[in-house]
Amino acid sequence: MSESLSFPGIEPPSPALSARLGELADYFAAPAAGRLTEEQRALSLGIARRLVADVAARIDPGVDSAGLWADWLRSGVPSAARLASICFARAEEHRWRTLSAERTVPAPLTHELDEEDPGVEAVGPMTAREQAYLTLRIADRRRFDAYGQPKLAIADLDSEIFRAVLHDVAAWQLAAVSIDTGRAMDLGGAVRTAVEQQSDAPGMTAAAIAYHDAVGDALPDAARAAIAAHDWPALIALAAGAQRRVYADMALAFVTAETAALPSLLAPLQIDRDALAPLEASLAMLPSRAVSDGHGSAAEAGR
Amino acid sequence: MNERVIRGRVDQSGALVSADAPLLRLQQRAGAGLGKPLALPHLARLVALSQRLLHDISRPLYAADDHSDIHALVRITPDADGASIEISDWRAHAVTPPHMPPVADEATLGDGWAWECDPQLRLVALGAAGNAPDVPAGWEGRSLSELFELQPDADGRFPVLRALARQSRFDGQIVRAADATMTLSGEALFDAAGRFTGFRGFAAVTDVAPSAVPKAAAAFADPAFGSLPLSDPKFGRRIDGALRGPLSRIIATAETISGQFDGPIRADYARYAGDIAHAGRHLLGLVDDLADLQNIERPGFKAARDDIDLGDLARRAVGLLGMKAEEKGIRISAPSTDDRMPATGEFRRVLQVLLNLLGNAIRYSPNDSQIWIRVDRDGDRAMVTVADQGQGIDAEQQAKVFEKFERLGRTDSGGSGLGLYIARRLARAMDGDLTVDSAPGQGARFTLSLPARDEE
Repeated sequence: MSESLSFPGIEPPSPALSARLGELADYFAAPAAGRLTEEQRALSLGIARRLVADVAARIDPGVDSAGLWADWLRSGVPSAARLASICFARAEEHRWRTLSAERTVPAPLTHELDEEDPGVEAVGPMTAREQAYLTLRIADRRRFDAYGQPKLAIADLDSEIFRAVLHDVAAWQLAAVSIDTGRAMDLGGAVRTAVEQQSDAPGMTAAAIAYHDAVGDALPDAARAAIAAHDWPALIALAAGAQRRVYADMALAFVTAETAALPSLLAPLQIDRDALAPLEASLAMLPSRAVSDGHGSAAEAGR
Repeated sequence: MNERVIRGRVDQSGALVSADAPLLRLQQRAGAGLGKPLALPHLARLVALSQRLLHDISRPLYAADDHSDIHALVRITPDADGASIEISDWRAHAVTPPHMPPVADEATLGDGWAWECDPQLRLVALGAAGNAPDVPAGWEGRSLSELFELQPDADGRFPVLRALARQSRFDGQIVRAADATMTLSGEALFDAAGRFTGFRGFAAVTDVAPSAVPKAAAAFADPAFGSLPLSDPKFGRRIDGALRGPLSRIIATAETISGQFDGPIRADYARYAGDIAHAGRHLLGLVDDLADLQNIERPGFKAARDDIDLGDLARRAVGLLGMKAEEKGIRISAPSTDDRMPATGEFRRVLQVLLNLLGNAIRYSPNDSQIWIRVDRDGDRAMVTVADQGQGIDAEQQAKVFEKFERLGRTDSGGSGLGLYIARRLARAMDGDLTVDSAPGQGARFTLSLPARDEE
């Protein structure tokens, strides 16, 4: 990639040609690595589009976000490298959860109704743990739009990435509206306000840490219950909270982990190997995982 | 392979008389319960077969509820009193993804709010779709019934609360929120362990009401009533709307607690909640009365002139309040089906009057007493009389009993004191009258008279 991607004599290279050459160069660099599937590409692109629309609405609710996205699809999405990693992480987590839900065979309804069940306990004030779980669930649901499509919540964004996207959108808006000093100042003010208000709601990382801390000594039980229920956001949150890592990073670590690496990844949760079986099975069934075995999970993809 | 054995028992008539939780839950999801015939067709057929053959049978069992298909092995052992059921290897297969949000087509979702709540009906997601009003700030964690003013259906029930009790899907729950009427529907969610985790659904906007108060005036006027004078008919409609929503919410929440839908609570707390629901329904009745009052006191109010049969209407009123009378052991002697008394009046208004008279009679009659309803004709007047064995009303009280808010010194939560006033106004609006004849200790006789009608 560091070398020129154009042929001598063709100046300047067209974006299409440059993209193809870049793709080919990447392929040459790692021919055995798995490639993005169309589903992964589409999911990531959709997440990026919704993120851009949300950021644009923070600056100006009346912005033509469809026009903005169409322009960027033609000319290239600014901050592409930064967006790629967070959109891919979100897309992979979504793909995993969707597939897991589709393949879930609910445990028999034998689950005794009179068994302790936090969901139907007697009415009373919420415990700190229940409150933390509710907050986590709210933060998680913020990562879907009204149509159930995955997206990135503004509160979950790294502040630098958020600022960069804000500036890119503001620049596009300024160019689209025309050069107007007053308008530019308004946009500047809107960007500053948006930056200040980025964390007006708790994001997944904060919610995960709070949930982990609220669970306290019951961490192994909570982790086992989350695995049994296929409540992957809760499990990721507990793991992220235990290691004080960003939720999205931990989610990506899960979906890209080799099966053999899962016990060490979940070691802070203090659960035994047997309890991991549903998690291992769920991840193993996810095709085209970007596992770090150098083969793009080719073997698993075929299942 | 699930080793647990789920047991149940049916009696000779095929009714399920006992069942372990999973079987009972399945029976309930099929719309039945304990003491009701087995509502699972395949299992019911196998039980019937076993009883007919008087022989044990073991077969695969296939059943389904609203979110999973169930495969199991069943063994049925008949005996003289019915049959015993033992189900093993219970396997449930999801038929809908239980975890993930439905990915809806933007074109088909329409205008409304997508929402999700936890098992305690606390909102965990709320987002506007299409051209729906913006979602209110601070919705996170609020109760569904707090954010949406639940409206009862035609039977006075709340579909969402029924669905909560059954952990099943629902639709057609009319709600009000953000100055709009919406229709709420939702799917029950379950995790991989089979636990109920809440509902996810959509609140479709069905009607957006014009803003009650112009924005410029909003800062200076009560949002519910604006600056309307008391004499303005709109004031009554506004007060009706403003009270009905919160009251419905109170009743719905109190019934949720009283019914212990969210789990067991202390019995006395459940009773208190039942009292709150009762008081709420009383207040709602008062709102209805006030709405009626304003309607009938409107200049030019005129009732419709339907061809009615007072005998038929009396029997309908008895049908509606018969259960209430039975609770007190009161017998009602109603006109027989041959007792016809053709008259002219507005059908629903006459029924309303009769329900009021009969309701009062039940309320103020001693236990195990009798109420008579008779129809009669006097010249051009058709009459229906409701007589009870209550404590009666003296002459002085008879003069006041039809006055507004007159409850003759009673302070219980029985009525608003408007019922008889409204009933007489309605009777007179139909060219009739409502009179009382009573003496202390001799019960009361209320007679509604209307223009008689000669049948051809």
